[in-house]
Amino acid sequence: MATVPKVDVGTDYKEKYGFFVPEEYVFKAKRGLNPEIVKEISWMKQEPEWMTKMRLRSLEIFRKKPMPTWGADLSVIDFENIFYYLKASDKQSKTWEELPPDIKATYDRLGVPEAERKFLAGVSAQYESEVVYHSLQKELTAKGVIFTDTDSALRDHPELFKEYFGTVIPPADNKFAALNTAVWSGGSFIYVPKGVRVEVPLQAYFRINAENMGQFERTLIICDEGSFVHYIEGCTAPIYTTDSLHSAVVEIIVKKNARCRYTTIQNWSTNVFNLVTKRAMAYADATMEWVDGNLGSQITMKYPSVYLMEPGAKGDVLSVAFAGKGQHQDAGGKMIHVAPNTTSTITSKSISKAGGRTSYRGHIKMYPDAKNSKSFVKCDALLLDDESRSDTYPYNDVDAENVTLGHEATVSKVSDEQLFYLMSRGITRSEAETMIVNGFIEPFTKELPLEYAVELNRLIQLEMEGSVG
Amino acid sequence: MPFTLRGVEEIASLHGEPDWLLKRRRTAFDTFERMPMPSRIDEEWRRTDVSGLDVAKFSQFERRNGAAPAEALEGVAGTVTMRGSEIEAVSLDPELARAGVVLEPISVAAKTHPELLETLLFTQVRAERDRFAALHAAFFADGTFLYVPDGVVIDKPIVGQVFSAEGGTAVLPHTLIVAGRGSRFNYLDEYLSPADEASGYKSGSAELFLGEGSTVGYVALQKWGRNAWHLADQRARLDKDASLRLFNVTLGARFSKTRVEASLQGQGAEAELKAIYFASGEQFFDFHTLQDHQVGNTRSDLLFKGALQDVARTVYAGLIRIEKGAARSDAYQANRNLVLSDHAKATSIPMLEIDNNDVRCTHGATVGPVDPQHLFYLRSRGIPETTAKRMIVQGFFGDVLERIPFEHARRLIETELEARLG
Repeated sequence: MATVPKVDVGTDYKEKYGFFVPEEYVFKAKRGLNPEIVKEISWMKQEPEWMTKMRLRSLEIFRKKPMPTWGADLSVIDFENIFYYLKASDKQSKTWEELPPDIKATYDRLGVPEAERKFLAGVSAQYESEVVYHSLQKELTAKGVIFTDTDSALRDHPELFKEYFGTVIPPADNKFAALNTAVWSGGSFIYVPKGVRVEVPLQAYFRINAENMGQFERTLIICDEGSFVHYIEGCTAPIYTTDSLHSAVVEIIVKKNARCRYTTIQNWSTNVFNLVTKRAMAYADATMEWVDGNLGSQITMKYPSVYLMEPGAKGDVLSVAFAGKGQHQDAGGKMIHVAPNTTSTITSKSISKAGGRTSYRGHIKMYPDAKNSKSFVKCDALLLDDESRSDTYPYNDVDAENVTLGHEATVSKVSDEQLFYLMSRGITRSEAETMIVNGFIEPFTKELPLEYAVELNRLIQLEMEGSVG
Repeated sequence: MPFTLRGVEEIASLHGEPDWLLKRRRTAFDTFERMPMPSRIDEEWRRTDVSGLDVAKFSQFERRNGAAPAEALEGVAGTVTMRGSEIEAVSLDPELARAGVVLEPISVAAKTHPELLETLLFTQVRAERDRFAALHAAFFADGTFLYVPDGVVIDKPIVGQVFSAEGGTAVLPHTLIVAGRGSRFNYLDEYLSPADEASGYKSGSAELFLGEGSTVGYVALQKWGRNAWHLADQRARLDKDASLRLFNVTLGARFSKTRVEASLQGQGAEAELKAIYFASGEQFFDFHTLQDHQVGNTRSDLLFKGALQDVARTVYAGLIRIEKGAARSDAYQANRNLVLSDHAKATSIPMLEIDNNDVRCTHGATVGPVDPQHLFYLRSRGIPETTAKRMIVQGFFGDVLERIPFEHARRLIETELEARLG
């Protein structure tokens, strides 16, 4: 395996999140990737034949596709040195009390129970590769909402599953989508029936916890006509010593007049390669919103996208990236306008410090039929010191008539005037900088549920402490 | 004269070029032979299709023939006129010549001022860049060398004009400008085909060296015939406190690709890069720009404005790069596209690579149709739609147009706008 510049996630990380739970696994597949391992995963999960075949076909595609040559440097990933499947406990727990104590301890530090007590509709917390904890409020079931882990969905709702799985992001879409389709495990499955509004956010905590462990969750959300759902995905992870690969696929279908919001707070430890494909199809007058925060990982390459398939569809990406020492956040969004009268906005806020690098990478595509469509992209970047770097790469392809496209970006540092003002009020430099950074990402924070906003502010504070000034 | 090594030697001996220049041409020719045609896999060429271009077809150089130069220019300090690939006339205000200003064909200057040319020629516009840059460096026909000594201020503009009238040929002029410390002047390159001749291959590259504290205005006006292929590189090096105003006006050619680059190498340097382009019919224009802030306390301001009609297509891709040590730099980059027809397409890719935090960088890009409210306002005042549209386009270009430091160029653009917008 190639040598990777060691990222010191330890010294501050342990104090920050302070947990490292010893591994305890029921089943641990061998390292590496070959058809036997893929078959074994499928067999372990007792999957139908079509899924086994699809996995094997995807493995072939993965092998054939070249590594992307743009974005971050991915050459250090050693696919043969990764566990592709782990199961943390042998059966799914029904209630919080039934969870194994060590897992519970981890979640306690993350504040999951509080969040649940406050407003939780259902928890689908992924620990390792399998969903171990899952609860669903009775009223949701009564409304016909399905909120389960993806493995169970394949088993319990085979027809619904087969109709949509892999339709938004086919295996051949890109190398990592192919990899995910070959070895996926866990993730969330949500179906919201026609006209049903899920008023409380559905959320899941995703964790990875074993050295050299890949996590390949697969999420599928279907919002039927006129429905609404808000799904929250949050990650934080303890200390690791070698590289870990996270390569998820999230597929969302938003039907006529429906609205879906997908919120992510990604905070993997800073040795994780986070290579995620997220895409939604929005149909007539539907709205898809991605709220995407990237704080952790060594390298993230993630561009949530919306395909605006029918007239009146609306897409929205709100992206925040924070890159500290040794980190490269290559994030952004894509808006693919297929139909007329579609609108999209992308707002990106990025912060680089201590040699970190943030890149906004986006794509606006307007196909010939996307007449009278509008798109606006705004990127703001804050550089906290002179070691850090910020890039903006917006790609715009307009093939449609009578469309309006706008792009704006600024890069700057924390302004001396703002700092001076705050410090003249007796606030220390580092506190002042934290306040300014929190203010900078406020458009993002205010879109989050309160608990998450508080947690995010705290995370920023932890990231900022002692790091600047 | 085919694009072969023999061709290189022929062109060098035709001008009686010194050995160092022949050697440089030969090296460029090697590069040309070695380099593949750019393919659409290369990011820079993804949206720019050169598969229809067979340069070998245009390997004859256009001789001094048919092309009738326009009326003599008034109010200029000097002119260099080329017809096809050959120098027609050079004139310079004798007072300036006495002050040490040099305005000569490159073929002459290579012998009279080797110390300048040998160290500077093709050091900014480099042959290794791609196959077309190499072709230009190996076979450039001739061109203008302008040297303005330290402290010399020239009020009237100096104009280089290249006329083409033949088609089926290559016209490859090169411009090299050296501005001494504290000098101040404006220079224009005009690339003109009076009529829409048959397809041909044209380049028109320029290298500018701005000495400490110099102030230089450079305008490139490209109005080749509507069937031409035009590939050009412009690159300026700015020393301490130098100030550059560089304008591009692109109206001609079927296919036009221009790279515009400013390399800010001295503290206090500032570059203003502006362009207006109007693409109609089946024209395709491509602009790649670079604002390279290599040291701190530098400023750059870029504004490219384009209007598109019919089924024209344009691509703008620009990069602001702030190097690590370039603190307190200020960079601005904007690309605005006015799409006048339903079938015209504008692509705009403004990029930033910022490696220093103590900077201010802003960029923006817009692509959109004429604002219906503007049109409505003018029509409600009894102005017919075509006139109203023309007024809007003129207004759109106005802020760049009025800064072009030469009346003659402004008039030429106005005439062109009127002809196209009716």
